[in-house]
Amino acid sequence: MDFRGILDRLKTARVPGLLGADEPRDPNPADKKDKGRRGDPFVWVEPRELPAFLERCRDDERLRFELLVDLSAVDPSKDDPNLWIVVQLLSLAHRHRLTVKCTLPKAEARLPSSVPVYRAAQWHERECGEMFGITFEGHPDPRNILLPEDWVGHPLRKDYVFPDEYHGISCK
Amino acid sequence: MSTPLHTEPDRAARQGEREFLLDVRTQDMEVNMGPQHPATHGVMRILVRADGEVCTGAQPHLGYLHRCAEKIGENVEWLQYLPYTDRYDYLAAMNNNLGYSMAVEKLMGIEIPRRALMIRTICAELNRIGSHLIAFGTYGLDIGAFTPFLYMFREREWMMALFEKICGARLTYSYIRIGGVFNDAPPGWLSEVERFCDVFEEKWQEYVDLLMVNHIFVQRTANIGVIPPAMALDFGLTGPMLRGSGIDFDLRRDMPYELYAEIWKAGAFQIPLGKGERGQLGDCWDRSYVRVMEMIESIKIVRWCLGAIEPGPVIADIPKTLRVPNGEAYVGIENPRGELGHYVVSDGGKVAIRCRVRGPSFTNLAVLEELMPGALIADAIAIIGSTDIVVGETDR
Repeated sequence: MDFRGILDRLKTARVPGLLGADEPRDPNPADKKDKGRRGDPFVWVEPRELPAFLERCRDDERLRFELLVDLSAVDPSKDDPNLWIVVQLLSLAHRHRLTVKCTLPKAEARLPSSVPVYRAAQWHERECGEMFGITFEGHPDPRNILLPEDWVGHPLRKDYVFPDEYHGISCK
Repeated sequence: MSTPLHTEPDRAARQGEREFLLDVRTQDMEVNMGPQHPATHGVMRILVRADGEVCTGAQPHLGYLHRCAEKIGENVEWLQYLPYTDRYDYLAAMNNNLGYSMAVEKLMGIEIPRRALMIRTICAELNRIGSHLIAFGTYGLDIGAFTPFLYMFREREWMMALFEKICGARLTYSYIRIGGVFNDAPPGWLSEVERFCDVFEEKWQEYVDLLMVNHIFVQRTANIGVIPPAMALDFGLTGPMLRGSGIDFDLRRDMPYELYAEIWKAGAFQIPLGKGERGQLGDCWDRSYVRVMEMIESIKIVRWCLGAIEPGPVIADIPKTLRVPNGEAYVGIENPRGELGHYVVSDGGKVAIRCRVRGPSFTNLAVLEELMPGALIADAIAIIGSTDIVVGETDR
């Protein structure tokens, strides 16, 4: 199915948490500020409903997203009060992909864990948690994965300050 | 000479051995494997909890090679990031270049000249062969077969010499660029690739005879580390790990990119699958089998390209400093280890907003925590080897 077909199916099956869709568009010649958007279409989803949304996407016969390919986050800019969670789904049976996005306030970056739905999310959520300072509620093993346990700050946030030293090792 | 099969009485004997070992209860002991263990092929530590000879749990500790490549991607220009892609999966650098270039090209909407696509495919498939040679050779090395590894390095050496001729580098190529490839193949290069194919096909049969169906190799790998199909899906495994469990999915055929749709239509290659020939479906032997068979399929793809390649330009006309249009794109390609995904976000500037790398090794390794409990310590090595990880990619 193409993106429109997937979106129709999400709507008719009343999949919980669906907020809307975003498709690439051309720039508006009348408005100079509107640069348009290229690339892949995606759907916006309510973060509290993300595990329920993913579970329906996995189990629905027409969608059948068996694989959670990737789960990560994006910090769009220093001034933006929100983070994005980005999930890439892949259906082997129907050979289609879907990008799922949620916005999450930086001040209160918490959302329920998707590990009960896809165990593939386990390590991705650990990485996402340490790199962006996001708490995944109900994660079975929420330790750091790539960073040391005592690392200060979340490196992939845009306001991250590079450390001068780590345990006496100069980082300059 | 007929090859000895892994027979039923053998399996029963193994089962008995394990029950005996479980019978002797000792105090649980935590053993540190790594960070410098020969079987981890890099700097990775696995904390194994063992009850006598049987693992009761395993916890991989990553991050020793972490360089935060994704942060670097947000600090350097689009073209400048390309050399960093070489360095996560350094055994398949061509494929990494390809994945990143394709993601940026998707946002920019660049059309790639046909000759460039051909050369890209040849390089990517040759690199796949090289990567599988290492995976298979070192796997034999891990479980005690030293000689085949040296033979495989001999062929890989030739493959690296081919790459050296085309781009000057032996390991980190940065050859596939945004818009095409860096330069055209030097005179005589394509015919040397053809010679390589001829020789490799012959040598490949030797590896199969020497290691793949070797009785000791089969005994060490059949029925070990079994990943049932449902578990493979749950853990998001891709590439040979997924196909080893009998799931028929390959991005090159099922979601084709570049020239693969055309090559598949021409019937040039097939997708090898694990069938549980020597043991249970999805065991370590099946995963090795898929890798070994894929090498010969890659040779067929290279041959198809050599037959269809025509003169022409090899790179599209792109400026030195790229400004990538506002938007975001995800591109997943079939790397030797599974799906390599690049998710790039741009706001129209010279630098990326986000440059996410989804490395197949990272996701595939997560299954270790599930596979290790219940395995013998000696089999732990066989299980780690069969996941075929590159630590540069798990840690990025």
